[in-house]
Order: sequence, then C-alpha cells, then structure tokens
Amino acid sequence: MSTTTKERDLAPTGSALARLRTKRWYQQPMFGRLVGTVAAAVLLDVMSGPQGSREDVFFSLDKTLGSLRVVWWIIGAVALWAILEFAKPLYNRYLAASVGPLERFHAPVTGPVKGLIAQTRTTSANLRRILWVRIGFSAVVIGLLILLPNVLSTFWNQVLVNEVAIYVLLAIGLNVVIGWAGLLDLGFIAFFAIGAYSTAYWTGAMPVEPPFTLNAFLVIPVAVGTCLLAGLLLGAPTLRLRGDYLAIVTLGFHEIIYLIAKNADGFTNGPRGVQGISNFGVHIGVLDYDWELDPVPYWYLLIGIATILIIAFLRLEHSRVGRAWTAIREDEVAASATGVPTVKFKLMAFAIGASTSGIAGVVYASKARFISPESFLLLFSVLVVAYVIFGGMGSLWGVIIGTAFLAWLPQYMKDWVNPNDRFMYLGALLIVMMIYRPQGLIPSVRRKRELSMAKAGLGDADAMSEPAGGRMT
Amino acid sequence: MSITTTKADDRPRVDPEDQVMRVRGVTLRFGGLVGLSDVALDLHRGEILAVIGPNGAGKTSLFNSLTGMYVPQEGSIVLRDRAGGEHSLKGRKPHLVNRLGVARTFQNIRLFGALTALENVKIAAETRQKAGPVSIMLGLPNARREDRESDRRALELLHFVGLDGLLNELAASLSYGQQRSLEIARALATDPQVLLLDEPAAGTNPTEKLDLEVLIRRINRELGISVLLIEHDMRLVMSVADRVTVLNFGKVIASGSPAEVQRNPEVVAAYLGAEMAAEMVAASDAEAADGSDGTVPAQRDGEEQR
Repeated sequence: MSTTTKERDLAPTGSALARLRTKRWYQQPMFGRLVGTVAAAVLLDVMSGPQGSREDVFFSLDKTLGSLRVVWWIIGAVALWAILEFAKPLYNRYLAASVGPLERFHAPVTGPVKGLIAQTRTTSANLRRILWVRIGFSAVVIGLLILLPNVLSTFWNQVLVNEVAIYVLLAIGLNVVIGWAGLLDLGFIAFFAIGAYSTAYWTGAMPVEPPFTLNAFLVIPVAVGTCLLAGLLLGAPTLRLRGDYLAIVTLGFHEIIYLIAKNADGFTNGPRGVQGISNFGVHIGVLDYDWELDPVPYWYLLIGIATILIIAFLRLEHSRVGRAWTAIREDEVAASATGVPTVKFKLMAFAIGASTSGIAGVVYASKARFISPESFLLLFSVLVVAYVIFGGMGSLWGVIIGTAFLAWLPQYMKDWVNPNDRFMYLGALLIVMMIYRPQGLIPSVRRKRELSMAKAGLGDADAMSEPAGGRMT
Repeated sequence: MSITTTKADDRPRVDPEDQVMRVRGVTLRFGGLVGLSDVALDLHRGEILAVIGPNGAGKTSLFNSLTGMYVPQEGSIVLRDRAGGEHSLKGRKPHLVNRLGVARTFQNIRLFGALTALENVKIAAETRQKAGPVSIMLGLPNARREDRESDRRALELLHFVGLDGLLNELAASLSYGQQRSLEIARALATDPQVLLLDEPAAGTNPTEKLDLEVLIRRINRELGISVLLIEHDMRLVMSVADRVTVLNFGKVIASGSPAEVQRNPEVVAAYLGAEMAAEMVAASDAEAADGSDGTVPAQRDGEEQR
C-alpha cells in the first residue's frame, strides 16, 4: 500500500482542496468581463484621443490618460458592464412579477416544435394561418422598405444602396458558407470581384473586347456561372481542409484575385480601374427603362434580388441540403458514415455562396460604373465575416439585421467621431458583443443549441474547431 | 414497444454459401503498431454475427476498416449484393460504403445533437434522394415529394425502434438508451443490407437491454438485415447471435456457435488469463453437465469493462 501513502502525501488535503476549488469573488467570470470592458474603454480612449507630438513624447498619453477624459470612458465602461450583467437579474427580481417573465419578449426560438403536425407538414388550418401571418408580415416589411427612401436624404439613400443593401446581399451569401456549412471563408470578396469584373468585361468596359456585349441584367446569370465555376475550382482541392487551414487558403485566394486585378494591366486596366460600365436597363417592347444616377431604383432592384434569394435560401435551410450541412457541421465523421457525401455538400455551399457574392458584384459594378482593385480589399472580406458573426451565424434574419446595422453604423458615426476612428469603434462593439452574446444578435436555433451543448461539454460548437485530421471513433 | 419473445426456431434459415460480406486477410497497421492482423470473417446473409474480444482487441478498428474510415494495408473486404454482384469496400469513402448498403452505429454515440430525433433520421433517409439545390430553391414538386417521403420513412423507422413519441425532441436531450435506439434508426434509414452495431448495449440498463435484444432480432428477421455486432454483454451475445467470432490482439482466435466459442480454452484464456483458463473450462464443463448454460465468463467480463 505504498502508493496510497505516497498519493496522500502529494495530494492536497480535503480542506486545501476545497480552498483550491472555491473561486474568490474576483475570479468569477463577471469580473473578468469587467476587466475586459474597462481595458477596451481605456484603449479606445487612448486611440481616439489626440495624435502624438514630436516635442512632447507623452503629449498623447497626457491628453488621454492624464485628463478627465479617461474617467468618463471608464465610467461608461462600468455602466455598460453593469447594465449587461445586472439588467436581467434585476428585472427578474422586481419587474417579472408585474410585467411578466423576460422570455415573453423573445420569440419562442428555443425548444423543438411540439406536435407531429408541424413537423410532417400536414396542411392543417392552423398551419395555413401561420403561413398567412408570415406572408402578411413579410409583405408589410417589404412595403415599409420600399417606402424607406422617401423619408431619407440622397446621402442616406446612397448609403442604403452602396453599403447596406450590397453588404446584406453578401452576408446572405456568406451565411450559407459560414453559418450553415460551417466553412470559414475569409476570401469572400474575391467572388464579389469576379462578379464585378465579369460585368465590366461583358458590358465592354474592359480593355479586352468581349465577343458580344450583354445587358447588365444578362450578366447576372453569366456572373453566377463564372463564380460558381471559380468556387468549384477553389473548393474542389481545398475543401478537404478544415477550419483554420481552409481560412488561410481562402485568404490566399482573395489575394490572388486582388493581385490579378491589380497587375493584369492589359486585361483589367490594373490599378487605374475600369470606367464606364453600363447601367442596368430594360428594353423589351413597351418596357424601356434605365437605372441611372438616382440610387432609389437600385434599392428596389436590390430588394427584389434579396427577396428572391431569401425565399430560395430559406427553402434550402429546411431541406435535405440544409440538414446535411448541419450534420457535416456537427459531426463530419458521423455524417459521412450515415451516407452524406460531405465534400459534395461542402462544395455546394461554397458554390452557392460564391454565386451570391457574384450577383452582389454585378449590381455593385453596374451601380458604381467604376471599379478598381481598391474596391476589393481584404478588409471587406473580413468585414463581411464580422457582420455575419455579429448578426448570428446561420440565422438568416439575424445576419440581415446585423449586417444592415453594422453597415449603417460607420456612416452614422461619421458626424460625431473622428471618421478615421470609425472601424475602431466597430471593433470595440464586436468585442463587447462576443463577450456577452457570442451567439450573435438573433442566433439561429440550431447554432444556439450547439453553443449551449459545447458549453456543457457535449461536443464542438462547430466543425471549424475540429482538428485538421478529423476525429475518429 | 411491445416485447415479443421469439423462439430460437423462428430464425430464418441461413445459407452458409450466401455470404453478404467476406473479409480476407485484413491487416491494419498504425505505424509500427498492428491493429488487425490477417483477419478473416464471413457474414452470411440473414445472420447475426457477434464480434467479441477484450478491450483493445481491434473490434472497433475492424468496424472502421469495414466502413471505409480506416484503409487497411492488406486484405480484401467484399460486399455481395442480393443479385450476387461483388463490391470491394476496401479504400472506399465512408459515404460510398454506406451507399452500397453497410450502415453502422458508434461506440460513443454520435448523433447530431442539436437536431431533433426526426431530423436525425431524415438526414439518413435523404442521402438516397436526388433533388438538387436548384429544384429545392425553386420549390419544385419533386423536391416537395421527396421531403414528404423522407418524413414518412423517418416516422416509420422511429416507430420501428419505439421512439414515436419523441420525434421532436432534441437528440442530445434523449436518454442514453433512447439515443442508442435513435442511432440504430438513423442507420436503418439508409436501407442497409448489413448493419454494424458497435456496443449497442454499453451503458444501457437491464430493461433497455431486453428491448435492445428484441430490436436486434426484429431488425434481423422483419427487415431481413444481416447484423454484425460488437458487444461486451455476454448474455446478450449468447442469446442473440447466431455465430460468434473472437478477436484478441487483432487476430481471430475463435469462431463458431456461441456455445462452442464459450468452451474454447483460447477464448477463456484471452478473457481471464492463461492460468485460470483450465480451471474455468473444467468448471463450465461441470456446469454444462448440471444442465445450466454456463455464463461464467460473461459475468467476469462484465466486471472487467470500465
């Protein structure tokens, strides 16, 4: 019994063990979050303060950390922390009794659908009523969106089209890749660029003459095809990779496309960019209309495209394809043992995402009439990923609302913070968001379950976090 | 699920010439470590074959080799369909092996936890369908019809394994035994000829074990599926299996009817160690003479695992 005595010598005694296990008050996660928030605030204070000066080395620090400014920042951070930490318990303690439980305000997203009828889609009167309510609600939302430009100035209409709508379209596409199939794609704007340059080529604006010129509308299917092909070409050899490795490859792909656009002078006109891309236009019989400088018609066009894509993607999510993606994301080994051709479905997600990005590229090029390699910086790829994660990966509505908000925010902030600092605030917002709500603004039901399961140690939140070689039984 | 006790005579006649799966000389190495060495195995059409052996004997490695997750360095694995056509499974991708009609469950249950029970089974049922993304996005009739079909098929199978009432529960929220049943339903949804069950009774309680026993028999008889079973619970193995193959250190050390294998001194040695083997064989012989069925090694094995 020598081993047991040895163990007793080495192991902490009962009370010592208990002391080791109990957490001090400051070791609780909520105080970790406080430290994080305050640190972010101090950093923001320093970064948004005045620039340094050559005469006085400490000028900048003195003006930021040495003044009352930093106190306000810290007070703000603590207030934000307190609201996020204590609002819910306080509500539950004092207001829940009179107003009702907090869950009341949430859509019933947790928990499975009860009842056989809802799942087997037997057409019952009840189900039909739900469907009509949904259609009615969507019609009202679309109606309001159509009316939206009337109450906004031209500047905001431009923002609505150039930033919000284009990014929403991109995010809807990237959501398929990241949110549903669980593939981290950091080069999504590459396909956007391919779509845009396709438009330039087929409308005859590039230095190279196309065999025949096309109307911008007809370029859409061509660009979809081109991006589909590009997606397959990139995906076929690389989709065997997982997580981080795939992210690096897509990053490289983005750089390749960017550098081709920049350096293939004879084809893309290099860094000078392509000018005079023709606008959208309809010329069939009595229909004779051209999209010109006014952003509002583009807004209508984009609402139309987005609506079609949303309907198509919602169908996809709740079909065999969407389920197969979820299966691959959750457990690739089990999925393939169940007969799901994993590479094929991943490729499918990649290609669908790529072609959506291509459509956005066509609209962008045709609206702006001018594209240059600088329109397709890596920053934009990263931004779309951030938007999708902010909105809630895998949740179409979350992604749309989150992207619309984040695309609008920097423009809105332009007036009251230093315009150069805008993305810094965006970054701070993302950090706070990831600390307090990693599942995103409006999380998808499936993703939310996965995240809570991962917390309970019941598996990975994501296929992304799998080891490169995959797991084996 | 109603428990119907079936007599041993109900078993369909198994034709020993009609092998649904033929494994010859399979050798699997992990670097210098030999996982399987020269394993040969015949699964006759319509039989239940149990693979037993101490922990680390290579049972799961064998399953992984059969389903394409591992590629053995040597040997052949052949699946024969009903028409007599032969398909080599060695080196085939797991989903293609599945397509040929080999389905499996996992030792550590691997369900899609964030999906409902129904969705888990539907995923498997849908792997045979053809509707592509375009017809789904356009909502074409064939996509809708296939969706209804997979609904029907999944409901049918959930009923078969006795999970009717739980189709909308999340897979992760089911009890252990229910998860095992769900995994079997998911495997069955791919219309297999051969079902590989990797320790289906591990971690289940005695009632669930009885249900499982009935379920395995029904899969075998009602659906006509050949079953290859890894199991540590000897009582289950002895009552359900037509034949038993014993693996130890990656080698087949015995093969035959449950009674034969139980008596095999090498098998007893593998489980209990060589010294006790002779003693045990003598004891079980004595018991057999008394008229009992001699399940001594089974009890010992139960103690041994985990």
